[in-house]
Amino acid sequence: MVEFTPKAAGPVPPAEVPDVELYHPKSWWTKYVFSQDAKIIAIQYSGTAILIGLVALVLSWLMRLQLGFPDTFSFITVEAYYQFITMHGMIMVIYLLTALFLGGFGNYLIPLMIGARDMAFPYVNMLSFWIYLVAVLVLVASFFAPGGPTGAGWTLYPPQAILSGTPGGQEAGILLMLSSLVLFIIGFTMGGLNYAVTVLQCRTRGMTLMRMPLTIWGIFTATVMALLAFPALFVAGVMMLFDRLVGSSFFMPSLVELGERLEYGGGSPILFQHLFWFFGHPEVYIVALPAFGIVSDLISVHARKNIFGYRMMVWAIVIIGGLSFIVWAHHMYVSGMNPWFGFFFATTTLIIAIPTAIKVYNWVLTLWRGDIHFTLPMLFALAFIVTFLNGGLSGLFLGNVVVDVPLSDTMFVVAHFHMVMGVAPIMVIFGAIYHWYPKITGRMLDETMGRIHFWVTFVGSYAIFFPMHYVGLVGVPRRYNELGDLLFVPPSIADLNAFISIAALIVGAAQMVFLFNLLWSLRHGKEAGGNPWRAASLEWQTPVTPPEHGNWGKSLPVVYRWAYDYSVPGAKEDFIAQNDPWPEEPERAPV
Amino acid sequence: MTDLPHTNAAPERPAGLSGITTDWASDQTAFKNVSWGKAMMWIFLLSDTFVFGSFLVAYMTARMSTVVPWPNPSEVFALHIGGVEMPLLLIAIMTFVLISSSGTMAMAVNFAYRRDRKKTALLMLATAALGALFVGMQAFEWATLISQGVRPWSNPWGASQFGASFFMITGFHGTHVTFGVIFLLIVVRKVLRGDYDTGKPGFFTSRKGRYECVEIMGLYWHFVDLVWVFIFAFFYLW
Amino acid sequence: MYFAVILVILVLGSVAFHLLSPWWMTPIASNWGYIDDTLVITFWITGAVFAAVTLFMAYCLFRFRHKEGSKAAYEPENKKLEIWLTAATTVGVAALLAPGLYVWSQFINVPDDAGEIEVVGLQWQWNFRLPGEDGVLGTSDTHLITSDNPLGLNPDDPNSADDVIIEADDLHLEIGKPVKILLRSIDVLHDFYVPEFRAKMDLIPGTVTYFWITPIRTGEFEILCAELCGVGHAFMRGLVLVDTAEDYQTWLEEQSTFAELTGAGSIKTASRSGP
Ligand code: HEA
Ligand code: HEA
Ligand code: CUA
Ligand SMILES: [Cu+2]
Repeated sequence: MVEFTPKAAGPVPPAEVPDVELYHPKSWWTKYVFSQDAKIIAIQYSGTAILIGLVALVLSWLMRLQLGFPDTFSFITVEAYYQFITMHGMIMVIYLLTALFLGGFGNYLIPLMIGARDMAFPYVNMLSFWIYLVAVLVLVASFFAPGGPTGAGWTLYPPQAILSGTPGGQEAGILLMLSSLVLFIIGFTMGGLNYAVTVLQCRTRGMTLMRMPLTIWGIFTATVMALLAFPALFVAGVMMLFDRLVGSSFFMPSLVELGERLEYGGGSPILFQHLFWFFGHPEVYIVALPAFGIVSDLISVHARKNIFGYRMMVWAIVIIGGLSFIVWAHHMYVSGMNPWFGFFFATTTLIIAIPTAIKVYNWVLTLWRGDIHFTLPMLFALAFIVTFLNGGLSGLFLGNVVVDVPLSDTMFVVAHFHMVMGVAPIMVIFGAIYHWYPKITGRMLDETMGRIHFWVTFVGSYAIFFPMHYVGLVGVPRRYNELGDLLFVPPSIADLNAFISIAALIVGAAQMVFLFNLLWSLRHGKEAGGNPWRAASLEWQTPVTPPEHGNWGKSLPVVYRWAYDYSVPGAKEDFIAQNDPWPEEPERAPV
Repeated sequence: MTDLPHTNAAPERPAGLSGITTDWASDQTAFKNVSWGKAMMWIFLLSDTFVFGSFLVAYMTARMSTVVPWPNPSEVFALHIGGVEMPLLLIAIMTFVLISSSGTMAMAVNFAYRRDRKKTALLMLATAALGALFVGMQAFEWATLISQGVRPWSNPWGASQFGASFFMITGFHGTHVTFGVIFLLIVVRKVLRGDYDTGKPGFFTSRKGRYECVEIMGLYWHFVDLVWVFIFAFFYLW
Repeated sequence: MYFAVILVILVLGSVAFHLLSPWWMTPIASNWGYIDDTLVITFWITGAVFAAVTLFMAYCLFRFRHKEGSKAAYEPENKKLEIWLTAATTVGVAALLAPGLYVWSQFINVPDDAGEIEVVGLQWQWNFRLPGEDGVLGTSDTHLITSDNPLGLNPDDPNSADDVIIEADDLHLEIGKPVKILLRSIDVLHDFYVPEFRAKMDLIPGTVTYFWITPIRTGEFEILCAELCGVGHAFMRGLVLVDTAEDYQTWLEEQSTFAELTGAGSIKTASRSGP
């Protein structure tokens, strides 16, 4: 690696970086509630995200109940079903994954991993969380609004989204959804600016870009992408609010709804789709890249081996991030857009498979000749590789424009994106929580509960989503609350659906074990100590665990190497901490 | 404790391209001698560019895809003075006002670094005044258009998207200007109080105030002007 | 350790499921066999990759699991290997893309001898229009929609009069005749989807979209809506029947033209040329 060691450099006294004037909390409120400490904010973000995520999980049960056992549950009306899938999808993608990866892990890990005392702008960081919370509340409010939440599908395609044929279209539902999104974007932007600036400008001495853990690379790239992708959603949302509230016609052509002419005219529904997917595709990588980064670190630590091909990994992340801005129309192959676009977007889409492939290979090659400990984080990391591989490959069907034609808008698509987004990154989230929980709380999560949780979730969710591909292959469309009597669908499909639903219920139940574990281990988990996994990256080298406000005590650590020095020949241990000057002696022992 | 963040910047680097990359990849900071605040503003402006970009692209597609004819700007935006029609007169003035406000802002920044509080404050006040004037004229233009029957859902001359996109985009830009004015006034107050000489911490942020705040403010202001130039071109000249 | 075993089971299980399970694409009824072929090619390539990578992983897990005193190797990079892998993947991608794009170019180029029919979607039913004798569809406009002109045809357009209107009833197609299906919606997005035809395309209000097929086997096929269009989405069904030439003619005789429906124009039931 780039062995540039700042020779003269001793530990950096805090005052040497003048911008670090931490806000020192004066009361309980400013310490724990309106805290400006990135670590507290991270926990607030994660907690909120997980809670709202559970709502989405429950919704997925209800959806599965309806699909598995049609017309058994009278309360799941057609309207209700569409409201469920919409909220389920939107919550999972935006309010759970995006918030948890960037707001949660980003806030906690960035300052610790790059050796900063806090985010660059703690105050703005705090605002970011509170605005996110308001966005979530507005979203929740729509469940109680007259007419209920919107049932337009998480893609919110107009004209349907704002017409009376759709639940919440003419009531408050869609308005609350759009407002909530706008709020989320504003809140995220505040956080995102922080993450970006912190990574770029606040690294400690010796922490060059090419020594940053891949976690940081993933989160950083995702943040930058989000800052450039969310504007498109913001604009689309504002324009749709205009159409719905003041009767403009951006997305609304002249149309006759259920017999009566509407005042609209001349707008273009396709324009919305382009705006949405210009945001939407980068978005799916925004939730994927942090997972890529984190999983690389998990594998490296628990296989006691440096991540294979670090530079390639970094470049792959950056290239994927860049490419994902020019593939959006692969969601619109059958949308009626100019068919010639198909050639371009199919090509770019499949090209993305190449850098992604490199990442997959390097993860596996990191295992090769490793010293693999099957710890909980490792189990989840391995599960991620398999499920992501599976889901990514099914993406190649959809990316290859002509193959997408029969599969588009069928359950095959649903299976694809659950495998690749609803399972793989979720696996990483779990793995990451098992991995960093000791740093956050000072205690380990319970092993047995963890293993139960893992095996059920892994095997279970594969059992849910692998067969689902074949439901789609038969031709069952997505967003159907029941199949009724479709001529071409064999009755056996009903049984398959029932099976999937049961699996889903079981997997969901397993999550409760996890939540219990989270709370139980707070008290009863066994003491972890500062560095239970004997990991090299900086966050494990804090003077105290859990790290306090300011992270590093008197003086910042100095970094002498990359984050992956495991099993280095001749070293006294099988890992060398990033701030360990080995083989030389430190001028001053880092405090 | 000098005020320069990077007294301890890494050792000398190779020249040329490799120099640039090493610089970028070096420890601590990617952009040498760029303070956090300035970096943040730049990144924010980049993001904001995408917002306005999306707005304008949406406007262009709307304008190009409508079947009904688009109102002719030079007539719509004409100013009637004593019976004679002055196409684009008001807009010309507005644009001039905004551009000159950029000028005063630039001078303010200059004086700020010379620690000349009075001149800085005066020039910033001038900038704010020009900004307010701009918003005022915009309000006037909205009023005239509305009185002529332009609505987001219709207008006397053609495609309804004209009104909608006009109000939406100029409105969004006007909001930017308004916020700019407000922040200008706040900074002016700090300048006059001498916060930036004493390095008095901000009320919320508890960060030491530095004259750089004036420059960061300036970055935002120039950006808003730049955006206006594009809006001007796309709405009034196209 | 078990993990390795589980992975092997996973791969074998998935392959078995793929080969043995009864669930597969419905028997095709259009000329788009090529699409199926491309899909099958994709299955082979991706399946092979999935098996290869997963099994290799399983091997690593088994072979390099932690044992007392075992130590990992230290090898940051291996440029040569990485380049080889990248190259191989690129080949794989190309192998997928080439047939895909080739078939796509056929999909978007409508043959000149294709007849035209129009599908008009609305919440939540399918309507159809055939060009009638003159083989030309009259112009239409949502502003003209009334209770007795539900598709908004233009009465002043001479081409409209003989257009055959099929309101919320079955569509018939003639076997072996390529047909360009024009898609029009009068309210929201819909998607004309017949699983047996493989092809599908969105209907967009304010625009006319299209795709083309040649029916290759007679029978009854279900028309589904594949784009969320409100609460009726799942129930927006229709039937398309692929007939032999004779059956098709007899069916066509029974249909009524725009003129007849609106009372305007002379009654003509003489032999009509279909699409
Ligand atoms: C984390 C989220 C995530 C990720 C990473 C991906 C990854 C990919 N997705 Fe997916 N996708 C979604 C989330 C995601 N997707 C969502 C949410 C939707 C649905 C939205 C909606 O409509 O509701 C969707 C829908 C979707 C569509 C639209 C389908 C339709 O609506 O008709 C398409 C089409 O191109 C597509 C393609 C791809 C491709 C090609 C990749 C590639 O990046 C995958 C690349 C990875 C691999 C290929 C595996 C590793 C590669 C190797 C081991 C090399 C060997 C491979 C070869 C032989 C070449 N996805
Ligand atoms: C990350 C995203 C994500 C996740 C995790 C899930 C999880 C699940 N989803 Fe969902 N889903 C979507 C994103 C996601 N989904 C999207 C975007 C849509 C499209 C909506 C639309 O069409 O508009 C969709 C639609 C969708 C449908 C299609 C509805 C239709 O088209 O008719 C179905 C049907 O079975 C379904 C089922 C499930 C099930 C059974 C689960 C799970 O139960 C799987 C098993 C559970 C786990 C793998 C654990 C998950 C963990 C949590 C939920 C978080 C809790 C967090 C902590 C405790 C840390 N989902
Ligand atoms: Cu029509 Cu869905
Ligand atoms: Cu995509």
